[in-house]
Amino acid sequence: MHELGVANEILDIALSEAGRHAAKKVTSIRLRVGVLRAIESGNLSFLFEHLARGTPAEGAHLEIVEEPVRVECDACGVSEAASFLLECPRCKGSGVSVTGGDSLSILSLDVDA
Amino acid sequence: MGNGGNVRIDVERSILQSAEDAAAEIRALLLERKIYALNLISSPGSGKTTLIEALLARVEGKGGVAVVEGDIETEIDAERIRKHGVQVRQINTRSSCHIQPSRLLSVLREMDLSETRLLLVENVGNLVCPAEVPLGEDARVVLLSVTEGDEKPLKYPLVFKTSDLLVITKTDLLPYVTFDVDRVRRAARAANPVVEIFEVSATTGAGMSALLDRIEARQAMKR
Repeated sequence: MHELGVANEILDIALSEAGRHAAKKVTSIRLRVGVLRAIESGNLSFLFEHLARGTPAEGAHLEIVEEPVRVECDACGVSEAASFLLECPRCKGSGVSVTGGDSLSILSLDVDA
Repeated sequence: MGNGGNVRIDVERSILQSAEDAAAEIRALLLERKIYALNLISSPGSGKTTLIEALLARVEGKGGVAVVEGDIETEIDAERIRKHGVQVRQINTRSSCHIQPSRLLSVLREMDLSETRLLLVENVGNLVCPAEVPLGEDARVVLLSVTEGDEKPLKYPLVFKTSDLLVITKTDLLPYVTFDVDRVRRAARAANPVVEIFEVSATTGAGMSALLDRIEARQAMKR
């Protein structure tokens, strides 16, 4: 249920940005969510829908852009993966370092002006 | 579509902005008072409170230590810590699965921190939510007990990626469980190449002085 706090923050930011731009209604919200954030998108949308009722963001669609992790392999360079791992997805070598995949941000809002 | 048509507003803002702002206020408060703070994170039952008690039993000058306990419910942990003669506050988070930085900030503002050099914050027991929220700490400490299984860094990578210290606890139980310490070390290093790893048993005291030395050395650097 850690999506509840995230849904609340998304709603707060969306409403304040919409207010600043004198928008009547928020129709869509684009998010960048890293795969390491363990955010279940169905759960997030369900909670957001519930919280947004009666606000200008009621019915807004959450569009999630997933951010993969970046795998740097000593042997074969950089690749991407959809989850944390201990070996290179290409050569299966263990000399890897895993970065990124931890974004949690609002990219943009679509609003009816 | 409304009469004015559909417009895109670029935001590019962290969803955790309000938490990050509160954490920055905590960081400023700690810097001003020269307090070194640890944020302890782990599953329930891996020994956070016991580790704090074991540190308190060994630390000189308990007046310089303050503890904040986070739990969904009860004052049980604060009562345990209070017996060691240090200043302690309990935060009950109720519906929240982690300590919110805004809540920690208001608790710290109520405390008398004039003598405090070391602050230990015990987060709510779970490996998911506390990993997401900064508390303005100097170091984040993740605990993993040997009874939990050695696959945890793979299952909960974010907490291992964002922690400065990994403390493997209950090492006295290693003869009785299947737990590959090297596997954990490898996975933790892949998540965070600069993580410092300690193996301790609060029961036998093994490894405790190395951990305390590390904490006290960093604490001295902040003064």
